[in-house]
Amino acid sequence: MKSKLKYGLILAGALAVLAGDIAAAAAEGVLTIGRREDGTTMDPIKSAQNVDFWVFSNMYDVLVRVDKTGTKLEPGLAESWTVSDDQKTYTFKLREAKFSDGTPITAGDAAWNLLRIRDHPESLWRDTYSVINDAAATDDKTLVVTLKQPTAPFLSTLAMPGISILSRKAVEADEAGVSDHPVSSGAFVMKEWRRGDKVVLERNPNFWEAARVQLDGVEWISVPDDNTRVLKLQAGELDCGIFIPFSRIAELKQDPKLNVLLDPSTREDHLLINHEHPPLDKKEVRQALDMAIDEQSIVDTVTFGVGTVANSYIPAGALYYYADNLKRPYDPAKAKEMLEAAGAAGMTLQYNVEAGNEVDEQIAVLIQQQAAQAGININIVKIDPAAGWDELVAGNYDISVNYWTNDIIDPDQKTTFVLGHDANMNYMTRYKNDAVKDLVAKARVEFDPVKREQMYVDLQKMAKEDVNWIDLYYSPYRNACGKHVDAFYQNPLGRFFLEDTKKM
Amino acid sequence: MHRYAFVLTRPLQLIPVLFGISILSFFLVKSIPGDPVRLLLGTKSTPEAVARIRAQYGLDESLPVQYLHFLENLTRGEMGHSLLYKMPVLPLIAERVLPTFLLVVGSVLLTLLIAVPLASLAALKRGTAADHAIRGFTTAGLGFPAFWLGIMLIILFSVKLGLFPVAGFGEDALTMLHHMVLPCLTVALALSAIVTRNLRASMIAELASDHATAARAKGLPESWVFRRHVLPNSLIPTINLLAINVGWLIGGSVVVETVFSLPGMGQLLVRAIFTRDYMVVQGVTLVFACATVLLNFVADLLTVAADPRVKL
Repeated sequence: MKSKLKYGLILAGALAVLAGDIAAAAAEGVLTIGRREDGTTMDPIKSAQNVDFWVFSNMYDVLVRVDKTGTKLEPGLAESWTVSDDQKTYTFKLREAKFSDGTPITAGDAAWNLLRIRDHPESLWRDTYSVINDAAATDDKTLVVTLKQPTAPFLSTLAMPGISILSRKAVEADEAGVSDHPVSSGAFVMKEWRRGDKVVLERNPNFWEAARVQLDGVEWISVPDDNTRVLKLQAGELDCGIFIPFSRIAELKQDPKLNVLLDPSTREDHLLINHEHPPLDKKEVRQALDMAIDEQSIVDTVTFGVGTVANSYIPAGALYYYADNLKRPYDPAKAKEMLEAAGAAGMTLQYNVEAGNEVDEQIAVLIQQQAAQAGININIVKIDPAAGWDELVAGNYDISVNYWTNDIIDPDQKTTFVLGHDANMNYMTRYKNDAVKDLVAKARVEFDPVKREQMYVDLQKMAKEDVNWIDLYYSPYRNACGKHVDAFYQNPLGRFFLEDTKKM
Repeated sequence: MHRYAFVLTRPLQLIPVLFGISILSFFLVKSIPGDPVRLLLGTKSTPEAVARIRAQYGLDESLPVQYLHFLENLTRGEMGHSLLYKMPVLPLIAERVLPTFLLVVGSVLLTLLIAVPLASLAALKRGTAADHAIRGFTTAGLGFPAFWLGIMLIILFSVKLGLFPVAGFGEDALTMLHHMVLPCLTVALALSAIVTRNLRASMIAELASDHATAARAKGLPESWVFRRHVLPNSLIPTINLLAINVGWLIGGSVVVETVFSLPGMGQLLVRAIFTRDYMVVQGVTLVFACATVLLNFVADLLTVAADPRVKL
């Protein structure tokens, strides 16, 4: 018995040591943010993922920035710019600024970055920047960019994190090393990256706006499980957590230690329609389908009222959004009549949904029930997320829920993909309308903002009339921070303004 | 043949085993629908961009050719490049070994710490309330899914009692140990259920065996009989049971690592499968296969050492 007691005491002692409060919170002034996934690279041209974009915009500055409202451009490393009368030559004046290694940021670096994202074999953004004819420095602070043809959205593409300004010297010396010891041009510089675990950033004293930065550092911590992330936030192990599930928002709002932040985003969830599959090739049938769906009840059920019903493919609050666009009423009886008139009564549709995506699976079931009221039969087919897109590209679907978030403030990017009849078959819908196609091309080269806005208003009306897809809902970012965190803000394009964030 | 001769022949058997695993995992993962390049580029990419990147990573070649490239890389000690992380697979895996290793070793130790006393108690006090309670635990322990049990342990020990961190891995040896307690406990509670059940059964058989009776007849005290005759003999099948379960353990690490945000190989594998990062899936599968084969080898060694009659 005695020896048992002895072992018991040793065990208890060991547990007591382990259980002590030795996991001290991160140093004061360091903001810890929990997110689902860790980043994949620190080389901006090699990623198209939001998880990377967030960190890029902490570490690297861009020539032209997007403001906090997500609708205007403002000077970044370029303090001013002029555009030639033929809209093909842009001349940028760069400000006095340094990289984190103390070397000056020159127009030569900027030109080299522009050509690199256009030409590098591993660049994922070659198509976006292929409009650049040439980029050259005429002196240390003057950058001249010529375009192959006039392009209205060109300036807004310069604000994308992909075209962050890197040090030419550092990248040329060790390209693979960019992910291990990047030289930064922004508010923070990388101290350590433990892949799969966390990215540790510290203040960049050489940043041209260093006086603006309040935090000593930032830690982006990967906490893949939603429940664990919320628990860590509640236990005070994280200052902030992002991607809070819709279902937890009401509960967290009650927590006296937390602020729930629902900053507007450009996310729009919609129902893709395959226009090549009869009877969906008929406009009236697509309109009837729209009327058979009760968007408000979807917003109430799956987003717990956090989202709002969408009436346009351009997200509310974004540039050229048309607030008065048509919102078809939910009217299953009328939908049924219209289907009968079009000879499509009792049609059966294949609905592809991402397996394991809780929200999308819920939407599918809701739509299935609602559409049944209008006599539409829906077969839900669950598909592995990684294979889902292949099926959409191949056209093996009738309807499928999907979403889009904007990368640039200009509506051209989304409009071209969705209505511009490009190589993606109008975002896999196979939608065809030559009048729309022409207008998309015209809007891209219209430089008068008033005329251009009218074109996008017309496009929103035409898309709604044709039901290129069914707009479902807009939803905000869902972040939460301890009350001791001030000015944690994400603009609609997803950029976190951590240079203004404070810990009190 | 010497009873330890398998130490020399076993590594030779390993070669065809690993070869078979590499073929199987390669063609299985390639046969799942889904395109890594589309996932890498996102839904906003053009078909031309997809085709270009696909060609760049050699994904446009036929499967047998791709497999040969993979083997060719292996002979140079490389495992290819990760599409997602844009870096060689081997260092990527090496960064992730420690959390998984600690999880497996910690779970096995904790399992023995729980299972041996429980099984001994149950076997010695067979039919009593204690025995029934322990058998109840072995049934319940198997029924709890790890993701639920993990969250419950976090709520109890971290959020309510504040004894352990909620999740994460820690900075140094001490904080790592501190972070590993709950994940190891989550695995150990399930694993010890199987082990306790098994160990109890073998102990009962050993207690009734002739050599135990002979020892008692010599007048040895029951505690001596139990420690010197019953316990070592019943541990042999348990070691083998643990070795077999290591495969299950590694598979289970995928769930536990996600719940506790441990940056281990399980999480790496999950994300690689979701993004169809073929080379990483291949690499992690091979490492897991090697670990399983190696641990079974160690179990055999222990069995031979524990029982002079065993020949392999």
